[in-house]
Amino acid sequence: MAEEAPRFEEALAELEGLVQRLEKGELPLEESLAAFERGVNLVRHLTQRLAEVEQRVEVLLKTEAGRLIRRPLEDEEQ
Amino acid sequence: MLRAGRAPHILSVSELAQLLRSALDAGVGTVWVAGEISNLKRPASGHLYFTLKDDRTQLGAVMFRSAAQVLVFQPADGMDVVVRARADLYPARGALQLYVEAMEPRGLGALTLAFEQLKARLGAEGLFADARKRPLPRWPRAVGIVTALHGAAIHDMRTVLARRWPAAAVVLRPVRVQGRGAAREIAAGIEDLNRLADVDVVIIGRGGGSLEDLWAFNEEVVARAIAASTVPVVSAVGHEVDFTIADFVADARAPTPTAAAALVVPDQAEVVGALARAEAGLRGALARRVGQARERLVTLDSRLGDPARRLRDLTLRVDDLGARADRALMRRLAWDRRELAALGARLERGGPPARLRGAREQLDAAMGRLRFAAAMRVRHARAALERTAAQLDALSPLACLERGYAIVRRGDAAGPVVSDAAALRAGETVALVFARSRARARVEDTEG
Repeated sequence: MAEEAPRFEEALAELEGLVQRLEKGELPLEESLAAFERGVNLVRHLTQRLAEVEQRVEVLLKTEAGRLIRRPLEDEEQ
Repeated sequence: MLRAGRAPHILSVSELAQLLRSALDAGVGTVWVAGEISNLKRPASGHLYFTLKDDRTQLGAVMFRSAAQVLVFQPADGMDVVVRARADLYPARGALQLYVEAMEPRGLGALTLAFEQLKARLGAEGLFADARKRPLPRWPRAVGIVTALHGAAIHDMRTVLARRWPAAAVVLRPVRVQGRGAAREIAAGIEDLNRLADVDVVIIGRGGGSLEDLWAFNEEVVARAIAASTVPVVSAVGHEVDFTIADFVADARAPTPTAAAALVVPDQAEVVGALARAEAGLRGALARRVGQARERLVTLDSRLGDPARRLRDLTLRVDDLGARADRALMRRLAWDRRELAALGARLERGGPPARLRGAREQLDAAMGRLRFAAAMRVRHARAALERTAAQLDALSPLACLERGYAIVRRGDAAGPVVSDAAALRAGETVALVFARSRARARVEDTEG
């Protein structure tokens, strides 16, 4: 399964780092602005990802030959 | 001694053995017998050999592999058991043996005993050690679930996962959770989910049931699969009160499948709150940073000064000093004139023509001195003004004028300094004061 976007965890860690650096007030003004913009973009991105995402539910099956197959779980199977 | 005529029927050993076996079969058959196990042996064949005894008697016993392998517990020396056995003769050694078909521990149920035995064995091996427990991932990409396709457990878990963290995919590996072969399926499910790169945590579980229903989760093959898993495994079997071997080996135990689902993913409501707080933090920090910069700018600006304003200030000071010098000089001259006039008047009142010549001469001399004194005073005053002006020049606006700036004054060169075109009207005359010269000009138009 390819990773389409940076992992949520990584984006969140970056965001936490940005907030901390900005709060220390040691960054030059120009970099403060850049950090702020990057941070706000991350917040938007992450919030949007949460709002839009719909849970993918799959079922893992094994063929006679031992090969694993993932396919969406149909709700009528339940 | 054998006597002729009364020849008895003579049996071979084998025939006798056969008779005994038949007698045992008919007279004893299959029985349930209680006793204590001793001298237990388990050779590679898988058959169990032991002695069953009480305080007075002991009998050899064998339990063939086909029967022994379905035992859930491990027979051991000293264990009190009840066995279902057939008494038979083992012809090769002529020994009476019990052929054991089934065995139950006395006192405890077989499953309870098996549970305690496996728990003790795996515990001694260190499989339940806290040091082996892995932390659960905070942000799993996918949650693997080993449970029955149908049932409350998967339904409950899906509900909680969808509400708390829809960002994680759910991969269900359907298995039978009870009955023969269930344990192997569960173990295989754990192994299969371990082969998927995005599955960061695995839940194994099922709803509540009897000890027999939950039994698969007490089997060694499941315990081994959990221990071998590369991703953390959460065990959620039955209800709060049910503990299984799987619970002890797993990295985390949840009392129910619902609780397990809540354990493996974050709550999006909390995360959204944290994101909002992060954004507020960013805004606050930036506002403070900009405030800091602005404050610094204001301090620097005041230290640097506004060049235009400074020039205006200096110009005003020069004008003021110049005006004061002029006034002082004029006052002095006026005073001198008054003195002179008063002196003349006194002379005129002074008397007869005889004294007039001398008086006039005196007067002339006085006038000469007076003029000289007045001239000296003016010269001194001018020199003082020039010195002041030179000091001012060093201070600046004149230096500015040297560089090509001009001061605009209203009317003539003595008029007020104009610093804003708004103060002028079209057609008005102004004086342009350069460093060493002046010009008169007429205002054409104003703007701004």
